Amino acid sequence: MAEIAEKIMDIVAREAKLDRAKLALDTRLDALKIESLDLVQILFAIEDEFDVYVPYNDESYKLETLSDVVNGVNRLIAEKQPEAAAGQN
Amino acid sequence: MTGMHRVAITGLGCIAAPGNDVPSFWAALKEGRGGIGPVASVPHDKLNIRIAAEVRDFDPARHFDERKLMLLDRFSQFTLVAARQAVAQSGLDFKSGLGRETAAIIGTGAGGMNTIEDAYTRLFGGNGGSSRQIPLTIPRLMISAASSHVTMEFGITGPSFAVSSACSSANHALGEAFWMVKSGRARAAVCGGSEACITFGTMKAWEALRVLAPDACRPFSGGRKGMVLGEGAAVAVLERLDEAKARGAAIIAELAGFGMTADAGDIVQPSEQGASDAMNLALKDGGLKPEEIGYVNAHGTGTLANDATETRALKRTFGAHAAKLMVSSTKSMHGHTLGAAGAVELVAAAMALKDGVAPPTANYQRPDPACDLDYVPNTARQAKIGAALSNSFAFGGLNAVLALRAV
Repeated sequence: MAEIAEKIMDIVAREAKLDRAKLALDTRLDALKIESLDLVQILFAIEDEFDVYVPYNDESYKLETLSDVVNGVNRLIAEKQPEAAAGQN
Repeated sequence: MTGMHRVAITGLGCIAAPGNDVPSFWAALKEGRGGIGPVASVPHDKLNIRIAAEVRDFDPARHFDERKLMLLDRFSQFTLVAARQAVAQSGLDFKSGLGRETAAIIGTGAGGMNTIEDAYTRLFGGNGGSSRQIPLTIPRLMISAASSHVTMEFGITGPSFAVSSACSSANHALGEAFWMVKSGRARAAVCGGSEACITFGTMKAWEALRVLAPDACRPFSGGRKGMVLGEGAAVAVLERLDEAKARGAAIIAELAGFGMTADAGDIVQPSEQGASDAMNLALKDGGLKPEEIGYVNAHGTGTLANDATETRALKRTFGAHAAKLMVSSTKSMHGHTLGAAGAVELVAAAMALKDGVAPPTANYQRPDPACDLDYVPNTARQAKIGAALSNSFAFGGLNAVLALRAV
C-alpha cells in the first residue's frame, strides 16, 4: 500500500516536473496545477507501472488529493484480480 | 473582395457511418439516427474504447476494378466514391476543357493510415518481420494520393494538392478551393476531405490521449465523456454561381465565406478567441451579418474542453443573437471524421439550408451549465434558415470556418 503511494508520487513528480519533496498524500491535485498533457502522461505511466487501465471520465472516482489517486489505483488493482484469474487481459 | 465571383455548390457526395451517399446520410441525420457502434475492423481484446463510427456495407470491389484498387488506400477509395456522387450530381464534364480551369483539393489528417499500418505490421511483425515492402506502399499512403486520384478520375488538370491541418483539413481544403473560384483563379473545384484511420494503432493512440468516450458521443450535453472516432469522406463541386444559373444547374447552397485563424496557443487545448475570430472572418468574407445566421454546424467534438470553449466563442461572435441560433453537432451521429469532418459537416449544413431542417445533436442527455445554447437536442427541427456556419477547430489551434447562404 505504502509502496504504491510512493510509486505514484514518484510518477506524478517525474511526469509533471514537480518537486517530489513537496508531494504528500494530502496534497490537493488542483494546487499542483498539472497541465492536461502532463496528466495524460501521468495516467499512462500509472497504467504501465501497475498494469491497469484507468477509465476515462469515470464519475465514480472522486479525485481531489493524491491520496484519492492512490485509492483509485488500489481499486483498479483489486478489480483486475478476478479478470486476471479468468485469463483475460 | 469586390469584383469577385459568388460561388455555388452544385454537387455533393458523401460516405460516412450514417449513410454511403447524401440521400441516406441526410435521411439518417434528420431522424437523429447515428452510425456509431461496436468497432468492427479492429479486434476488441486489446481495446479499452470499443466504439467508433465506421463506414459499413462498403465493398470496394463494387466501386473499383482490381488494377485500380491496388493503388487505393481506404481514404482514397472513400474520396473517389464521394467525388463520383458529387460530380454526377453537378452534371459538369471536366474533360471538355473545363478541367484545365478546375481545382482538385482534398483535405486529410492522416492520409493512407491503413497502408502505413499494414506496412509496419509486415516490417516489424512476428518472426522478425519481413525486410520486403509492398511496392505500392508509397503511392497509396501519401496524403496527396486522394487529390491525385480525383484529378485522374475526372480529367482535372488545374491546381491540385492536399491540405492537412488535423481536424480542420477539410474546411481548409474547401475554403481554399472556394477562394480560388471566388477570385477567378479557378472556374470550378472538386474539393472536400477524407479520413480512414480506424486502425488498431490509431485507436490505441487516441485512447492514450484520453479524449475518446467509451459509451457515446454527446456533444454539449451534461455527462459527455469525449469524442468518438469516425471515418468517411465528403466532396463538393463548386462553381461560379452565375455560370451555374446560366447552365440551369440545381444549386444546393451558396458557399459564401471562409475564415481561418491560428491560436498560437496550445497543441491540444482550444481557444475561445481563435475560434471566435475565425467565425468573425467567415461572416465578414461572406458579407453576412451575425443576425443572418440561423444554424451553426458546430465543431462539437463531445470533449469537456471543446464544447464549453466553442459555446463561449459563439457568444463572443454572436452576442445576444447566440441564444437564437440553432447549434448542433452532427458528430453525435457520424463521429469525428477528423480530416474529413468539415466536408461531411458541409453536407449537413448545406442540406439544412436546402431543406429547411436543422439536424439534431443526438445522444443529448441533460444541460451542462457551461453549454447553455440551443443545441437542437435529439430531434431535428424544421426552420427556414437563411445562412449557416460550419466550424472546424483542430488540435494545434488551427481554426477554419465556412459560411453558407441559402439560394
